[in-house]
Amino acid sequence: MSATATDPGEEANLLAAEYVLGTLCAAERATLEREAATDPAMRSMIAWWEARLAPLAGLAPATTPPASLWPRIQASAWGVAAPPMRLLAPAADATPRVLGFWRATTAVGFALAAAIAGIAVYRPAPPLAPPPLVTALVPLNQQTPVFLASVADDGSAVVRPLTGVTVPLDRDLELWLLKDGASAPTPLGLLPASGAHLAVGTLSGHGPGKILVSLEPRGGSKTGLPTGPVLYGGGI
Amino acid sequence: MATATREDAGGNLAELLARCAAGDRAAFRSVYDLQSARLYGIALRLTRQPALAADAVHDAFLQVWQRSSRFDPARGQPEAWLAGLLRYRAIDLLRKRGREDYGFEPAEEVDREPGPLDQLASSEQAEALRRCLEELDENQRRVVLLAFVDGLSHSELATSLKSPLGTVKSWVRRALIGLRRCLES
Repeated sequence: MSATATDPGEEANLLAAEYVLGTLCAAERATLEREAATDPAMRSMIAWWEARLAPLAGLAPATTPPASLWPRIQASAWGVAAPPMRLLAPAADATPRVLGFWRATTAVGFALAAAIAGIAVYRPAPPLAPPPLVTALVPLNQQTPVFLASVADDGSAVVRPLTGVTVPLDRDLELWLLKDGASAPTPLGLLPASGAHLAVGTLSGHGPGKILVSLEPRGGSKTGLPTGPVLYGGGI
Repeated sequence: MATATREDAGGNLAELLARCAAGDRAAFRSVYDLQSARLYGIALRLTRQPALAADAVHDAFLQVWQRSSRFDPARGQPEAWLAGLLRYRAIDLLRKRGREDYGFEPAEEVDREPGPLDQLASSEQAEALRRCLEELDENQRRVVLLAFVDGLSHSELATSLKSPLGTVKSWVRRALIGLRRCLES
């Protein structure tokens, strides 16, 4: 690639190599990424090392990922409903079964059937486990919720939009957890305008706190802390 | 995934990534089918923690979907590009969240002789890298492998190799200088 490219100094080249190798700490990595964003020479040194060291990645044996991974990626990328959580499962399972009886009836009857099905299904099903904790994420100093976060007792969560959310093309929303008493939030990943699914365990073991949503550059904050305005928040 | 089909997939993969950039969901699924086991394997080896590895693969694929337009076939192999995205994400997660939270004990986990070099693929680049790694002394070769493949930071290298931090840092630097000289020639 660029083996004979500019040679702006031993130190910069070794830093690029250590970045690719992965030995730098979080702060050093972040500094170098900022530098690379504006310095083509640094980018080409990184590319040189990436290409040369890439074959080493083949030393790790391929391993089939857990089956839950694809639905989770799908949910994050497209906002497709993630594997149904307890809150949502009864409606998805039961409605079509009851509707079969009404299939030949009018559209009005159809709508009515859906309503009845909802009642009939929900009433006799006693909750076997604690229901998910639901919290509304609202704009600061306002009351109308924009996202709804359902946190299950296994620490997974689904965050859904309640209204159309528009995000500038060059920006992403990012989710954060701010534990009560903590001085800084921890990142929970990007929040597509269509919603997100947080993996099992993401929110377990955390006492009371807040879920925050900030506006970040595309791909999310590079610093591990919100760099843009916090748009929405809600307590858990 | 068989190695044979992966070789064929190189050009195919670049095409699939181009289709992802155009918003083709079926292409995105195909990229996942072709690459998820390889990438999850890399992430698992780096993090030694299934939950963290899954997070890294999730984030990397999200980046593929959101930034696939950034893959430039002229600049490299699609497989290397994907592995790069994944490795940086896994390392970022590792450095931010730390291994301690997951009960990671490098000293026990990492007890490896630099034998695995034999398993490097037989591409021209892999041959060059193998030859150059073999020219390094044992400590230098070991820190490169433990860092790149197992994701150990400077301080983790020092702990697991029971050597002072300064010594380990200088092994890394001398290894990199030696590799560069050898790979450039």
